[in-house]
Amino acid sequence: MRHSNALGIASRLVSGIALLLVAGALPWLSQRDPAASVLRARYAELEPTPEALAAIRAELGLDGGPVATSIRWWSGVLRGDLGSSWVSGSEIGPGAWSALGVSVTLTVFAGVVALAVAAAIVTPAVLRVLRDRPQRGSGPVGVALTALPEFLLASVLLVVVAVQLQWLPPYGWTGLRTAILPALALGIPAGGLLGRLLADAVASVTEERWVTVWLLAGARHRVILAGVLRRATAAVVDQLGLVLIGLLGGAVAVEQVFAIPGLGRYLLGAANAQDLPALQAGVLLMALAAVLVGLATGLARRALRGGPIPPGTLPPPPERRGDDRAARWTVGIALSLLLLILAFGLPRDPYTLAHERLAPPSADLPFGADASGRDLLARVAHGTLGTLLPSVGIVLVAVLVALLLAVLGEIARGPAEIANATPPILAGVIIAALLGPSVGGAALAVLWVTWPPLTAHAAALLDEASAMPHIRWLPLAGVSRFEIWVRHVLPATVPPLLRHGMLRLPGVALALAALGFLGLGAQPPLPEWGLLLAEGIDYVERAPWTTLAPAVALVLTSVLAVAVAGIRRNRRDGGAIVGPKSLR
Amino acid sequence: MTTRTSPALTIAGVTAVHGRGAKARATLAPTSLDIRPGESVAVVGRSGAGKSTLADITLGLRLPAEGRVLVGGVEWCTPSARPPRDRRHLVQGVPQDPLAAFVPRWTLRRSIDQAVRRLTGEHDTESRVRRAAELAQLDLELLERRPTEVSGGQAQRAATVRAVAPGPAVLVADEPTSALDARTADAVSAALLSVTQELGIALLLVTHDPSVAERCTRTLRISAPR
Repeated sequence: MRHSNALGIASRLVSGIALLLVAGALPWLSQRDPAASVLRARYAELEPTPEALAAIRAELGLDGGPVATSIRWWSGVLRGDLGSSWVSGSEIGPGAWSALGVSVTLTVFAGVVALAVAAAIVTPAVLRVLRDRPQRGSGPVGVALTALPEFLLASVLLVVVAVQLQWLPPYGWTGLRTAILPALALGIPAGGLLGRLLADAVASVTEERWVTVWLLAGARHRVILAGVLRRATAAVVDQLGLVLIGLLGGAVAVEQVFAIPGLGRYLLGAANAQDLPALQAGVLLMALAAVLVGLATGLARRALRGGPIPPGTLPPPPERRGDDRAARWTVGIALSLLLLILAFGLPRDPYTLAHERLAPPSADLPFGADASGRDLLARVAHGTLGTLLPSVGIVLVAVLVALLLAVLGEIARGPAEIANATPPILAGVIIAALLGPSVGGAALAVLWVTWPPLTAHAAALLDEASAMPHIRWLPLAGVSRFEIWVRHVLPATVPPLLRHGMLRLPGVALALAALGFLGLGAQPPLPEWGLLLAEGIDYVERAPWTTLAPAVALVLTSVLAVAVAGIRRNRRDGGAIVGPKSLR
Repeated sequence: MTTRTSPALTIAGVTAVHGRGAKARATLAPTSLDIRPGESVAVVGRSGAGKSTLADITLGLRLPAEGRVLVGGVEWCTPSARPPRDRRHLVQGVPQDPLAAFVPRWTLRRSIDQAVRRLTGEHDTESRVRRAAELAQLDLELLERRPTEVSGGQAQRAATVRAVAPGPAVLVADEPTSALDARTADAVSAALLSVTQELGIALLLVTHDPSVAERCTRTLRISAPR
């Protein structure tokens, strides 16, 4: 939509201010009466009389309404005062800052791992350039590495390396040895993603004409390689920022698994204890880190490209070629395995405590039983529904929201940018702290990060549809503008948008499972993948199958997520190419 | 009779601007023009002179930046007013790409019927479509096909039927033959000229082809602004 820029700027300004206000007013927004929870936490002997509650509200500074609460908090922050905890009454500052220090250290370690993994993935692609046989894609290794969500990888590493092999300590933050596993869990998926992006960028840069010209001119390989890498890095540096911000979000799960006193675990603790001042401080520090990362990537891009480039000056990336047969096979296999679990598990009962506790897998109980003696096959199968049905709902709502906001155009730009930069886990933590943990809250958090890409796509599709010659000419046939929208523009827009939404389904399911794993989503005894994994991990030494069963379902979904995204990626780009057939 | 003397289409000091604010640039220099019923005016000029912009404004698909357009002496569109719905049938068009005149998933007949019903309010479209098809020399059977199932020349004749059937006073054709081979192009533009002459329709014909321009009543040469 090419309306005036002023609207976009205004939208960003308004949503920025709204964000600051909301962040400051979080304690006031809390749905559960904070006074009651503070009373319980601090003065267990006191009766929750109205007078006592009112006194506490005044003490917490919640008696002035949202704006007053917000302004008081921000003026405190500007003086370097992060407030004091509702639960312990002590100052928040020192604890939050030391948690940030731990998280930054962990992120640096994870960054090293990520760079190593990315380098390992991109090297073959670079070597292919020299042999003049560029090829798209980064091969199955990159796909497999990206597929694993951090919380799953962390659990697997914990079980295999720390518990079974006993090579490294399973938890804590007491030295380099304790940092290795969390750094791997965080760094490997990030490095896999980064490596795939880079490999793709290298491959597309190699197809640019200057490479051929330089080769013909007899330039040395080292010079050409340096040029290719520089162009490819410039193309990826924007994504790098998002990957780093994603590390911050992934850190919540990893810190929880390895019991590391970082910012992520700090946030989770604050959310579980309803300690909203602590949550505010944690979110503020995380946002600060994200802004710094954003500035750093901006500087890096400037150094690599020499300033922002007006759109259209770089040649568009060449179309993805080659077949996607491997991706189709992967999707088919993962999907049929999931369906198999569903077919055998759904008729069974996931709730009754009918079996021996932690019974091993047998012909009768193919996946074994959990710690309460419930059938794990049934629980995983019903968990598939418990995870996928909310995911389908989220995707459908996101498509609707995307269509509505795409019609509004630039007005939605500010919220979209904020939502884009929010890791789903962070959104989940904040919503759980406000509303209490629930499936609905987790769904809301995942929805919050799902709508922006769909909105961008919807806007492109709407533009494309309204520019189609036959739709442009419909007014000549006396068709009203409303009818053109409803009967011609929307039917051309909704199917591709729904397809795009469905492609995001596995990713949405994984985000939901991650929140369930952290206890921010579905609550026991509901069967939900993330929750099942969290329940199983306590018994991993005695009964590894309790972890294995949900992990298998999650891995299948992860593989599905990446493979599905690999099928015909070019088709859902939503480029507004309308013209004579010969040009398409 | 007043129709003999008063123009069917009046374009008075019309200009067009693309974009807004600092990026705005003029796409059509001030243009004025009168076309009487049955007359045909060829609009010629280089690419970028604003020929298609003039066609779009006359059709009411976009509004002029300045000036106004009158149809039958009554206001049709101005910088602030779109063409009135109840007079929509008075100006019809034949597009450069005939596919633009039809909904791709419908038969040609369905698109034509919809246009005739909406524009005239008459439920029975048979006589109008039959007469228009006769004039455009198009086999009625072909109208049961979809736009992509007929040849370019047939689609352009069908687009002419679609444009003529609602009974317009003005017909705008924007390079209607540029996508056709020379012989088909000749036949299609001949049909277009004869149909409008027969029915007393004012024809605004955008063209690159000097031989087509020659056969029109007059030629209007426009050039890019500034």
